[in-house]
Amino acid sequence: MTPSTSGVATLRQEQVGRSDSDAVDATLAASGDASAFERLYRAHIGRIHSLVRRMMSDQEADDVAQDVFVRAWQKLGSFRGESAFGTWLHRLAVNVILVRRETLGIRRQRHHEGDAMLEMVPARRAQVELNMDFETAIEQLPDGARQIFVLHDVEGYRHEEIADMLGVAAGTSKSQLHRARMALRRHLDR
Amino acid sequence: MNDPWTDQLSEYLDDELPADDRASLESHLRVCVACTTALADLKRVAVRARALTDRDPAADLWPGIAERIGSATPSSGVPAVRLMRRSGRRWSFSVPELAAACVALMVLSGGAAWLLHPGQVPLAVAPARAPQAGVVSIPASARAGSVGYDGAVADLERVLTEGRGRLDTATVRVIVRNLAAIDSAIAQAQRAVSADSANLYLNSHLAATRRQKLELLRQAASLVSAVS
Repeated sequence: MTPSTSGVATLRQEQVGRSDSDAVDATLAASGDASAFERLYRAHIGRIHSLVRRMMSDQEADDVAQDVFVRAWQKLGSFRGESAFGTWLHRLAVNVILVRRETLGIRRQRHHEGDAMLEMVPARRAQVELNMDFETAIEQLPDGARQIFVLHDVEGYRHEEIADMLGVAAGTSKSQLHRARMALRRHLDR
Repeated sequence: MNDPWTDQLSEYLDDELPADDRASLESHLRVCVACTTALADLKRVAVRARALTDRDPAADLWPGIAERIGSATPSSGVPAVRLMRRSGRRWSFSVPELAAACVALMVLSGGAAWLLHPGQVPLAVAPARAPQAGVVSIPASARAGSVGYDGAVADLERVLTEGRGRLDTATVRVIVRNLAAIDSAIAQAQRAVSADSANLYLNSHLAATRRQKLELLRQAASLVSAVS
């Protein structure tokens, strides 16, 4: 399944200008050119690492981000240029993350956690750098709500895409997103 | 806060609420301060999420990745000329892959050059011979030993000049056309950098264009060595 252009690509316009040079490097890397692949790594590691950190944890981010790029190297032959390389890589990263989460036993039932878990997200602390505080608040969300919030509001996927990726109903994705937003509103700087 | 109105606010915000529900909610919002406030907060949460900035890992993960994919590649910067992988997959490519790279390069450099100098991109056709195999690999004898960009380019250009007669005409034409386009783009970028040497974008564009030339030459030299 290919991510829609209305999702990631729309919200991440800064990636578009990079796509041409990425296409060249992806072609070279698919031929075995590790230098070209290193350029792809350096262009995308920030976004991939941040995605992993937000969907999993700081502790696992380095390890999983490495897995993503190793997997990308192995799968480069399947990249046909039908979408931007960054979009392809991002989707691959999501798949790697979901598999890792399954391996760690973070399973689907977490998407049905109740409101009580969301109420446990601590309120915004004073005197803490705002951006980091918001990131911390995201980390405190229950796993299901956190995944959906990151995929929808941070990464720009649509509910139908999220539902397909996570194997849940689109309605579940919508309700979890709403719960996550309601929990996070307490962390806004007023 | 859980009530039928509040639970619809996110879908309303994302424009995913059916028209009837939307109209009802909008009527409610006109009289409910709590829901209006909640809606504004949810909007700010969504805006805030999209504004989150990515950050690189504290440590460079590339060495570990390079090790796992079986390549001890150099660090970033102008890539060293390396015509064969040290281990792992055999460094090989097909003519269609080369053509795909050329097309991408044309989009990048040829297009830019054409916009700047329409009609001035030279074409050249060299005597040719068809490649002997669809998929080729690069012999160790074709490795370039020069250090630095100019030396690497000179070495690869010499390999291409000496061996272009062994390539088929169409391949040579694509290579020559793209090299001319890239050279034109490099010249334009150099002039722009000369006029504004502190401009980060222009400098990175020049570096990227030079890198593209190196990569195209590497592939062309590889093809030459493969049919030698």
